[in-house]
Amino acid sequence: MDTPTNAERTPEPYLVIRGVTKRFGSFTAIENIDLDIHKGEFVSFLGPSGCGKTTLLRAISGLDVQTSGRIQQAGRDISNLPVSERDFGIVFQSYALFPNLKIKDNVGYGLVSAGKSRNEIAARVDELLAMVGLADQANKYPSQLSGGQQQRVSLARALALSPGLLLLDEPLSALDARVRARLRGEIRDLQKRLGITTIMVTHDQEEALTMSDRIVVMSKGHIEQIGTPDDVYRKPASPFVADFVGRMNFIQGQLRDASSADCLGAHLTFATELTYAPGTPVTICLRPEDVTVRDTNGSVNTFDVDVGVMEFMGNHFSTTLHVANSHLNLSADFSMNAVRDLGIKPGARIKATLPADRLRVFPAPK
Amino acid sequence: MAGIADHATSNGPPGADVTIAPRVRQQMSRDDILMRTLLVVWILWLLATVALPLGALLRKSVEGPNGEFVGLANFAQFFANPALTASIGNSLYIALVSTVICVFFAFVFAYGLTRTCMPGRGTFKLISQIPLLAPSLLPAISLVYLFGNQGIAKDLLFGASIYGPIGIIIGEVFWTFPHALIILITALSTSDGRLYEAAEALKASNWRTFWTVTVPGARYGLISAIFVVFTLVVTDFGVPKVIGGQYNVLATDVYKQVIGQQNFRMGAVVGLILLLPAVLSFVVDQYVQRFQSTALSSRAIPYQPKPNALIDTTCFIACSLMAAAVLLIIGMAFFASLATLWPYNLTPSFKNYDFNNMDGGGWGSFYNSLKMAGLTAVFGSILIFTGAYLVEKTKGFESGRFVFQLLALLPLAVPGIVLGLGYIFFFNAPSNPASAIYGTMTILVVCSIAHFYSVSHLTAVTALKQLDREIETVSASLKVPFYRTFFMVTLPVCLPALLDICMYLFVNALTTVSAVVFLYSPDTTLASIAVLNMDDAGDVAPAAAMAMTIFFAATIVRTAYTLLAKGVLMRTQAWRVR
Repeated sequence: MDTPTNAERTPEPYLVIRGVTKRFGSFTAIENIDLDIHKGEFVSFLGPSGCGKTTLLRAISGLDVQTSGRIQQAGRDISNLPVSERDFGIVFQSYALFPNLKIKDNVGYGLVSAGKSRNEIAARVDELLAMVGLADQANKYPSQLSGGQQQRVSLARALALSPGLLLLDEPLSALDARVRARLRGEIRDLQKRLGITTIMVTHDQEEALTMSDRIVVMSKGHIEQIGTPDDVYRKPASPFVADFVGRMNFIQGQLRDASSADCLGAHLTFATELTYAPGTPVTICLRPEDVTVRDTNGSVNTFDVDVGVMEFMGNHFSTTLHVANSHLNLSADFSMNAVRDLGIKPGARIKATLPADRLRVFPAPK
Repeated sequence: MAGIADHATSNGPPGADVTIAPRVRQQMSRDDILMRTLLVVWILWLLATVALPLGALLRKSVEGPNGEFVGLANFAQFFANPALTASIGNSLYIALVSTVICVFFAFVFAYGLTRTCMPGRGTFKLISQIPLLAPSLLPAISLVYLFGNQGIAKDLLFGASIYGPIGIIIGEVFWTFPHALIILITALSTSDGRLYEAAEALKASNWRTFWTVTVPGARYGLISAIFVVFTLVVTDFGVPKVIGGQYNVLATDVYKQVIGQQNFRMGAVVGLILLLPAVLSFVVDQYVQRFQSTALSSRAIPYQPKPNALIDTTCFIACSLMAAAVLLIIGMAFFASLATLWPYNLTPSFKNYDFNNMDGGGWGSFYNSLKMAGLTAVFGSILIFTGAYLVEKTKGFESGRFVFQLLALLPLAVPGIVLGLGYIFFFNAPSNPASAIYGTMTILVVCSIAHFYSVSHLTAVTALKQLDREIETVSASLKVPFYRTFFMVTLPVCLPALLDICMYLFVNALTTVSAVVFLYSPDTTLASIAVLNMDDAGDVAPAAAMAMTIFFAATIVRTAYTLLAKGVLMRTQAWRVR
């Protein structure tokens, strides 16, 4: 289930989290979290606000130590170590740059205390600033830089002492969309180049999907799923993940037999057999972009559908479909080509397939 | 591939096994240990300079003549004495009337400064701050010259006497005016311009907008100003001492009981009664502040006043009258101090400034005052800022931080005269190892720092809160000790606030009478006390001269500070410029 793809496999995970629970009074922010992170991996903690992702990050960093449970980094038990004795660099949403220090002094801040010589520091600072593409900004103050530049300074500062672990706490949330997209790629490139184990907290699924080796989807203090971006998107482990990551049709139905169900008058067949008794209520998930309208002849789950509202999204159309002779409505995304070739327009009747191998079936919540 | 997916995927043991997992306790870093230790030292300091003196006062109030416990006998004695209990009514009456007048005036003035386009707003603001630079004795002395037995405008009172409630009220309004003004300016300038635009779009009249938008927006400021002024008036003894005549109030009773009759126990009782309104006001203010902070959202757009001939003219006239009154009172004292022999020989001379040939300690007391104010400013700002830093940045240790916060805010609720009395009882006790500082310059400085602790502390905390909370986290992750970040980042960034604290302490220490009146010795007479004593001895003109000397000293230092601070800030705060 949780197979790191890009990351280098080592026998012992770099970061081992076991049974970590954090309570604030009677409120349990995270409960009994187990997680392994391997060396060189980029892992995102993804979830809505209040899901516990930041709490978990703060436990790993020692900013807010967990109520119970163990954390081990590079074979060393760090569960109860103070922040200053752990090995990580951190980047915050707010940048947290020292406002009165020049960029070069911000980046070199940790190096001075580490007792490096003046020349060593200068060389390292130059190297770091070049790495984040800000070599010419060394003598400016933070307030003279743009948000994206400030966040890159913050990144360079976090990497100055070559820490074993890089923690990113919503690093891109304060930036505007364009800068965010660019910085996403830059951070990921840098991370791969340095091979530094990285954890990023984010509520932005796009960020998590594009940057991570693995995503940890969290909800209400629990881990819902750990998997590669592809796994999480294609094979959500729970209705929550299906709903939170990407857009999703939720179709209510009742099992007719082990591999098909009645859904508001439409009969859907699945690719696998279920172990539940006929009559069990289920929720069936289908991505709007998985609805196909070409080569539908002979495919299972092919229906006559009436096209309802069509919303122009720039690179595709988002449409609502009504399955004829049933009460089933669903959303579907069609490419511009398909719309043109098949003459899809509001009110048209077309054939659409809900591919059996794309359906994810969950028992309906009681 | 489809199928019923497993629920949450985790690779550890099921939850039931770890519900009794041992609690993780974070080890303390060297920084944590150092900061907690320092915080404890600061707590001990505040205990010794604030809490224990108050405790000594409390103990004194329940002691008999030989130090035995007598329960509430002293209080019973107080309430059985109609001469003393009358003061309660007098104090309340004076405070109520002064508060209503002062807050009304200050509101009009603040409205003119923040919500209109009247000309001369900068000048008005400057003039309004004048009363802060003089001891409260000064307006009272000035009133004596204006409306006293030999006053130049005595006839304006139509036979009523300035020596009594009228004089006290005018003096208190003058003296508390800037305090109310500062609060109301803040309250009125933090308003959301969008509300006014909405009101205008809905075609509300100016009058309706004023009552439905302006006043509700400033209500917390108004409540705060009312309580601050009320407390200042109840606890001030400078004005009633000079111009009160036979009209007794609580604050002068404390002074009379202690200095006049050497009745320390009764002084302690009256002091405790004086503590009540101050504590009440403190509680209300803390409660109100909670709402004030959330009153304005971060997306609010500042209100920009538009010219309006009628409102601008009305406010200009009102503000001019008030500014003229302030200038008249200061000017009168100055004029009187220069007159050779009031009211017979008005030829200007510096005869009254020849302090060395008069009671009160001469020029020596003025130099003592400067020294005391300077020491208070330097040591006070270091002490207070460091304390605020420790309480804001120490990780964990909730109990210690709570106690510290409580102690740091306590002086706000303690009138100076009560604190000073507590100092006598606490530091004059032979059993106290620190009793050696009694009668020295040190006790004056220590007491002044304690007296003005809270406001400075709050200023420091506000400045510290504006710094990103994560700065310390980043430093710790970079393995930089906290004191390096304190000196490299926190202190430079908070320098403007630190200088403000320094100035606040200096001016207040220079002009204060209340706390130090019980604590000075023949070697450490102070200028403000000299004003009091000379006035007491009937040397009113030299008293005015000394009050003016304090005023000029405060003004010069304040101006020099403004210029100097500008230079220093320009050099050290270059990073603020975009």
